[in-house]
Amino acid sequence: MSDAATTDEIRETSGFFGAEQAQITEELPPEIWGKIDDFLESNPGGQERLIPLLHMAQEFVGYLPIPIQEYVADKLGLSPIQVYGVVSFYHFFTTTPRGKHQLKVCMGTACFVRHAQRLIETLEQTLEIDVGGVTEDRLFSLEQVRCLGACGLAPAMMLNDETLGNLTAKALRKRVLRMKSKARREKATQSSETPSD
Amino acid sequence: MTSETQETVAEARGLAPRDLAAIRERLRTRLEARQLSQRDARPAQRDVLVCAGGGCVSSQSLSIADALEREISATNLDEHARVVRVGCMGLCEAGPLVLVSPDGTYYRKVDEDGVRRIVSEHLAEDRPVEDLEVTWSNGDGTVLRSREIPFFARQVKIALRNCGVIDPLEIDEYITKDGYLALEKALFELTPEQVLEQVHRSGLRGRGGAGFPAGLKWQFVREAEGDEKFVVCNADEGDPGAFMDRSILEGDPHSVIEAMTIAGLVIGSRQGYVYVRAEYPLAIERLGHALQQARDYGLLGQGILGSDFSFDLEIRIGAGAFVCGEETALLHSIEGKRGTPRPRPPFPAQKGLWGKPTLLSNVETWTNVPAIICKGAQWYSSIGSAGSKGTKVFALAGSVRNTGLVEVPMGISLREVVEVIGDGIPSGMPFKAAQSGGPSGGCIPADAADVPIDYESLQELGAIMGSGGLIIMDEGTCMVELARFFLDFLADESCGKCPPCRIGVRVLLNVLDRITKGQGQIEDLEILESLGAHVQQSSLCGLGQTAPNAVLSTLHHFRDEYEAHVFEHRCPAGQCRGLLTYVISPEFCGGCMQCAQACPAKAISGRPKHVHHIDQNLCIHCGSCLNVCPTNGIQAT
Repeated sequence: MSDAATTDEIRETSGFFGAEQAQITEELPPEIWGKIDDFLESNPGGQERLIPLLHMAQEFVGYLPIPIQEYVADKLGLSPIQVYGVVSFYHFFTTTPRGKHQLKVCMGTACFVRHAQRLIETLEQTLEIDVGGVTEDRLFSLEQVRCLGACGLAPAMMLNDETLGNLTAKALRKRVLRMKSKARREKATQSSETPSD
Repeated sequence: MTSETQETVAEARGLAPRDLAAIRERLRTRLEARQLSQRDARPAQRDVLVCAGGGCVSSQSLSIADALEREISATNLDEHARVVRVGCMGLCEAGPLVLVSPDGTYYRKVDEDGVRRIVSEHLAEDRPVEDLEVTWSNGDGTVLRSREIPFFARQVKIALRNCGVIDPLEIDEYITKDGYLALEKALFELTPEQVLEQVHRSGLRGRGGAGFPAGLKWQFVREAEGDEKFVVCNADEGDPGAFMDRSILEGDPHSVIEAMTIAGLVIGSRQGYVYVRAEYPLAIERLGHALQQARDYGLLGQGILGSDFSFDLEIRIGAGAFVCGEETALLHSIEGKRGTPRPRPPFPAQKGLWGKPTLLSNVETWTNVPAIICKGAQWYSSIGSAGSKGTKVFALAGSVRNTGLVEVPMGISLREVVEVIGDGIPSGMPFKAAQSGGPSGGCIPADAADVPIDYESLQELGAIMGSGGLIIMDEGTCMVELARFFLDFLADESCGKCPPCRIGVRVLLNVLDRITKGQGQIEDLEILESLGAHVQQSSLCGLGQTAPNAVLSTLHHFRDEYEAHVFEHRCPAGQCRGLLTYVISPEFCGGCMQCAQACPAKAISGRPKHVHHIDQNLCIHCGSCLNVCPTNGIQAT
């Protein structure tokens, strides 16, 4: 991003999707604007660069909030709705932040035949969220994905970057409960260390 | 990169065309010298091949490869063995797989202890570790080992010829296996017409689903008018349960690059794209690496191998949309748009990417091309059945012992694939059906298992070849629930452009939903049949046109199961939760209260340490209790 004014302009004019989005902008890593500019400098072009650019931005920020979509639209000479149309079309792109631990249960056919649905049900009950949701403490997010290609290990899922295979609902429930209580303990130690005012 | 490879790269840059043969000869001599210096005695050097395909990586094969390297240097065997991380070996079930070459010994489920034993016994003392070997016992007591087992012995590898054999990160290894020989031939020995003739006569048909003759497609694009043309590889393998395209890109990326370059030469294109799913990061990484190596060797870019032909490839990453496997949707996605299909004609061969003539094929189709050019059309067309030539790769999964990738000649029977290569059903239940072609495909019932698998006979059965996902099901799989699963997938993936697919598939799903919940109505089966036919006939693209296949083919072959659900509120396979009754067996119940706490309907009563009871009037059949019970004390019938 060459000059800061443009960002501010865009933030101010983000009326297209409503002003409530502006708040999120504050949390965005400031380097993202420069990264988008750099990307377009080394990969010049029009709309054909949109999907690669969104991939880069989502990898960096974790999700694609409206201000980023609007900035990208502006840079590529597209209307914001064209960008939003692409973002909402593809499953891979998300406009909401994900949890610290991402649980992705494979719902490919092989996993389905080996009862992956039970894993999903167990996780939904244990975490008290639905597929696609994030726990209130932003610790876990749960998604179902199409075939991880680990069909030989069905039923399989990804816990962050790790592929877990040959899972049973019970073992998975235990593991998630352990992670939950560990996070709770860590939080408790943290808050006891931070002096309260 | 070793210093040797750097030398080769430096030498190769800007070399005259004929020198590729010299590289090949030199590499081959070096390889032979290394492996066969003491013929008939122990090999001077062994290659320890570790499967680094997606499945094995998931079962930690990369850390096994590291451990092997550590163990080999700790025992001072560096001179005698090297570890190579190769592409998918196929037998994913037994991962992490390790192959000791040239002995041909396959080791299954290798762990840290296995690593120590392979190094200390096999590599150091020449005694293969027999109890870790992949084996197969015949009924009569004979035991077959490693390559002899039917899983490997019955396969014919053309598309997967290099997968699990070469290091996909080393272009030299590909060149040694006659890599880029076909490109040399196409550039310097044959005219484009002759290359086209070979592809024609081979009888190669598209492996992505529809089975369109490849030669005809090449000819259409070659003859199409246009100053600019494109070559595109469809690696958007969206069919859940199929992973051959991924394995080829991960294990043998250069074969796709070579094939696309040859096609570029024949149709007169200078630029190609490979559209890969975002879910395949390893494939993207290895393909990217291969592209760079090919450019360094002068096999891509300006003036390929010193000729006046220029061609380059770019990777485009998908973003998770099943419909992008449809060719016009895929082209829209490359252009940066929503991946929605458009009516055909015009076909991409006339108006494709940015309105220019475009030759689009899937990974497996491409990878066959160099083999055809090298060995000739006649050789290729001698394999397979009358209308379907060559081989097909299937991703074998579901209820079968040997899950993984298999490549078999067209025309083989399903029974041989399931019972011999797949080694049968592990649960001991009878084989019920196979789902071929993923969500767009259909099911092949057990009584049709002797029908030869090729394009024509599958179509007659109401299934399709599709991309080659083959899911094996036993009696524990409910066919209604299976159809519901596929419809749920397709309703979610429908792009929404045409109403027959957007609304029709949703209504089909709603009907199936109610049938699997025991709320089916008498007219439901007729609705499925008539609406299914409408959706097939009136949808815009392949997704909608094939969406009802799963319902219609299961309804055709397993009508009695549908009827049991609708008329008797019973699921014969015992899979539909809404139709099951949950009962606590007093002899197993420890009175732990976990099921009572998990029950969302508060239907379970009981005091701690006393047997609990489920009130059937309150039970909503969700199965939550089943998931939490630590003693398996809840019976679902």
